[in-house]
Amino acid sequence: MDEIVMAGCIMLVLIGTFSAALGRDPFNKLISLSVMIAGIFPFIVDRGYVDVAAALALIAPLSTIFILMACQRREPS
Amino acid sequence: MIYGFEPEFVVGLFILVIGTIAAAFPRPRNYMIRLINLEIPGFGLLLIMLSYNEALALFTFGVISVLSTFIYVRVIQKREALAS
Repeated sequence: MDEIVMAGCIMLVLIGTFSAALGRDPFNKLISLSVMIAGIFPFIVDRGYVDVAAALALIAPLSTIFILMACQRREPS
Repeated sequence: MIYGFEPEFVVGLFILVIGTIAAAFPRPRNYMIRLINLEIPGFGLLLIMLSYNEALALFTFGVISVLSTFIYVRVIQKREALAS
């Protein structure tokens, strides 16, 4: 991978990790988690595993939807 | 990148450590925050698997981590329904 692109992706991953680990609101944490996953995908594609990247891109947001479901259930109580 | 290791390995190890600490000591101490923090070391482990060129392990781990999240959410909902 290009050095500048790799540095940008690593920065994206680190920003997402720190903001997901240190955030307090569940919704903020979910958004930071999505930023981290977005930084991880170029590494998978760079290795040539495009099929794995496509499958993970379809499956990974499902966990966000499930956690969001639990957050919504938690809100009224 | 660092001492001859691949950048995927170094970044994955770093995410794994940070995510494990965050999942062990969540800031507002409830299970929802802990469940969200549990996603972080999963992706760190995914990057480490990627640095060893294990495509099948990567695919299987991604699918199963989502499935286990679904089961945890169902358990939490059932627990809240029992509590109320």
